[in-house]
Amino acid sequence: MSIQDELKSAITAALPDVSCVVGWGAGPEPLRAAPLFIRGEADLEGFSAGFLSVNNPALYLPSLKGSKVGVVVKGCDARSVGQLAAETLIKREEVHVIGYPCRGVIDVDKVAAKLAGACETGEVAALREDGDDVLLNTPKGEVRLAKKDITADKCGRCAFPNAGNADVFVGERCAPVVTEDGYADIADFEARGLDELKAFWEQEMSRCIRCYACRNACPLCVCRDQCVAMSREPHWLSQGDGVRDKLFFQIIHAVHLSGRCTGCGECERACPLGIPVLKLKRALSRRVEKLFGYKAGGGDTPPLLTFLVEEPTIKERDWK
Amino acid sequence: MKIGVFICHCGSNIAGTVDCAAVAERASTYPDVVYATDIMYACAEPGQDAIIAAIKKHGLTGVVVASCTPRMHEPTFRKAVERAGVNRYMFEMANIREHVSWIGKDIEANTNKAAELVRMAAAKLRLDRELKPKSFPVTKRLLVIGGGVAGIQAALDAADAGLEVVMVEKQPTIGGKMAKLDKTFPTVDCSSCILGPRMVDVAQHPNITLYAYAELEEVSGYVGNFDVKIRKKATYVDWDKCTGCGLCTEKCPSKKSYDRFNEGVGPTTAIIIPFPQAIPKKASIEREYCRQFNKGKCGVCAKVCPTGAVNYEMQDETVEVKVGGIVAATGYDLVDWKVYSEYGGGRYPDVVTSLQYERMLSASGPTGGHVKRPSDGTEPVNVVFVQCVGSRDPSIGRPYCSGFCCMYTAKQAILTKDHIPGSQSYVFYMDIRSPGKGYDEFTRRVQEEYGARYVRGRVSMIYPKGGKLMVRGADTLMGTQVEVEADLVVLAVGAEASANSSALAEKLRISYDGYGFFMEGHPKLKPVETNTAGVFLAGSCQGLKDIPSSVAQGSAAAAKALGLLSRDMLDSDPQIASVSVNRCVGCRKCIEVCPFKAIQEVDMRGQPKAEVIETVCQGCGLCNATCPQGAIQLSHFTDNQILAEVEALCRF
Repeated sequence: MSIQDELKSAITAALPDVSCVVGWGAGPEPLRAAPLFIRGEADLEGFSAGFLSVNNPALYLPSLKGSKVGVVVKGCDARSVGQLAAETLIKREEVHVIGYPCRGVIDVDKVAAKLAGACETGEVAALREDGDDVLLNTPKGEVRLAKKDITADKCGRCAFPNAGNADVFVGERCAPVVTEDGYADIADFEARGLDELKAFWEQEMSRCIRCYACRNACPLCVCRDQCVAMSREPHWLSQGDGVRDKLFFQIIHAVHLSGRCTGCGECERACPLGIPVLKLKRALSRRVEKLFGYKAGGGDTPPLLTFLVEEPTIKERDWK
Repeated sequence: MKIGVFICHCGSNIAGTVDCAAVAERASTYPDVVYATDIMYACAEPGQDAIIAAIKKHGLTGVVVASCTPRMHEPTFRKAVERAGVNRYMFEMANIREHVSWIGKDIEANTNKAAELVRMAAAKLRLDRELKPKSFPVTKRLLVIGGGVAGIQAALDAADAGLEVVMVEKQPTIGGKMAKLDKTFPTVDCSSCILGPRMVDVAQHPNITLYAYAELEEVSGYVGNFDVKIRKKATYVDWDKCTGCGLCTEKCPSKKSYDRFNEGVGPTTAIIIPFPQAIPKKASIEREYCRQFNKGKCGVCAKVCPTGAVNYEMQDETVEVKVGGIVAATGYDLVDWKVYSEYGGGRYPDVVTSLQYERMLSASGPTGGHVKRPSDGTEPVNVVFVQCVGSRDPSIGRPYCSGFCCMYTAKQAILTKDHIPGSQSYVFYMDIRSPGKGYDEFTRRVQEEYGARYVRGRVSMIYPKGGKLMVRGADTLMGTQVEVEADLVVLAVGAEASANSSALAEKLRISYDGYGFFMEGHPKLKPVETNTAGVFLAGSCQGLKDIPSSVAQGSAAAAKALGLLSRDMLDSDPQIASVSVNRCVGCRKCIEVCPFKAIQEVDMRGQPKAEVIETVCQGCGLCNATCPQGAIQLSHFTDNQILAEVEALCRF
């Protein structure tokens, strides 16, 4: 049985006990899948999981709290589920997690770069997987692209391809790409120095249109309608169209996620302007890992959401 | 809003490096400021009167005073504005002394910084709201932690004044270090003769409940209403049945236990009554030495006990008590002198600590008051005292003077002569520190009447030679090296904060210094208070002190506690957190971070929401900083007030 069929039968088996199962189905165009809410076997037809299963279905779990739901997850999505449960934003026993081995997902922006000059990604009429490649039907003929050239960056540093906390896992577990995310990209980035980084972010954020897609795509952003970006009391952000407020929001978002971000990268993927906002979160995650020895998504309470007189990893008493 | 700004000169403390008139002039241009002036001493009576007069004359609705730290005079000014009819929370203080004038000499820069701080304070004041404290009832009961002489004094004074007192002592008997002393300086009167009756008073006082062999497990709550959990450690003897007859201690076959009370001078049994005058005079089993526990069979004590009090199945027991105030009187421990390899590091039996020597001198000690060399039991002739062992020594992190060692060494030299008339004492010292009443005369007497030879210099080495100990040191007054042949060496070991004092401080939420001594509220003006309301200090836990000072501080702590608990109701600080329920998403982050457990989850029409328990909240602001959407706000320190301050400073 193929993984698709195995997943479908796992979902079918789960359906009687849950109000719905969140997975992926056909999207608005062949390169993009969309979240699929499976409420009955009839909905299963459009289901597929694989190279196009980009969206993080954990995003929907807090709003479905209160009834038992199923969710199909990649390894990175499972980390979000773990984190939501650790923070009691969902009840783990209310979620039926179905995992499968993920070998990376598409980055449509990378496809766009490959097709640049030839056609738009929206003009691709069909996508077919062929081993390590994909074949695209474009108005200018068939284009063959190697998957490794159009896979999301986060998949290149993936240490958790298999959902670790799944209730049901289908398929053979695959080997992680790396055993440990060393944050080499962030170390290199930060080595540029403060002045250059400031200039970089001012330049990047000048393009921001304050659509808050980054926030809305984040599975761990919990404030929903009460986000400080919209509030006058407290009045953290002005409604002015300046780089300062835009960057300020990104910093607030990153700080709110410090020690919580699992690095699923949905913020950056959702950004219609391609601003690399995940970098800010990864910079903080790197520090939290170093300071507290904590990696978000493993199921433990984040260090910044606890009060301990003495942090076991910070030897304050030895400070001279 | 009409804001008045007062820039204090503090004599020349501020005006010396800040142009106060210029700051006032700039302040008069800030939003809502209708009156600004400089003033010589804002805290003095004329200063307060000037503030009150200005409030009345200009119809001020808020006041900024730029002066010293709010820890000093915020209450003073709050009361002053209240006397003029303005709510006490419509007041802000800018610290232009500790934060400005005392730290820099550049008048222009200081003046600019002072003006900026005042601008921030005024910007914050514009968003202040009137706050009113709520009052809550007080539990009229005092907890005293530690049953040494300081704790005993505090407990007796408070109990005599009619307060209920709960005393917790971690050892099986109260008495502390003083109970181990043979005599006390400078009167050379018997320590247990003067302390014993006080200990009996504690046991018999109708207002005092004593939990000996118990430790403080947990403290929650707040001033006036602390909830305390006390863990009564298992003694394996039912103290309700035990009569203190001591038969068990005579028959116990395990006779090689370490004798904690006697500092290991002699061995003791596994079931013990620490000393004849112990309070409570009850037996307890030291589990690690007991055959019943280690070998699974013995049971001698259970067999001989006439009242059947021995119970090997006993478990620790937790008692919960509600108290209104707490006195910490946890005393001190000796420095680990074994780090000094030049003094043998514990290898030579005839090198003893001063406290061990005290037990040898005591008639109720293991040697019956006969000074004997631990190695061969002979009476020493030459006794060498080495002072400042573990005191005034930065190399082991103990740079401070322990304060009482000069005096007890002099006392021990006198007692040595009394016990062994043919003996000769030598005292190696750095300086003689004897500033108490009758103290210096005492140190003269030991030299002039008792013939103790005082050598000013450090001991560099102690080594054994033919059954004796050679003590080599410098005589800095003579400029020579000296070597004394000693039969017995007594190290005047310095003191340090008692073990685990920092953990206790954290339970009590009080500050402690780098050595573990508890921090008083102010080194001069609040010597027994802490910065945690309702927690007071007595004795050496606050800083090393001798018996008279410990007793005085015990009484002082009792007086402070009585002052607090004489009131029926206390006012709560209204600067606390509150939740905007429509903004709260029930994410529980505030509940997790609150160090005081002051936030609980409540159900509001099926939605989880956070709720602040007003009397428990201490206004620390952790929840405020953690709440991602700003739904929980700290009154008087709201996000918007902090932002207003930032904007006043950065002026975006």
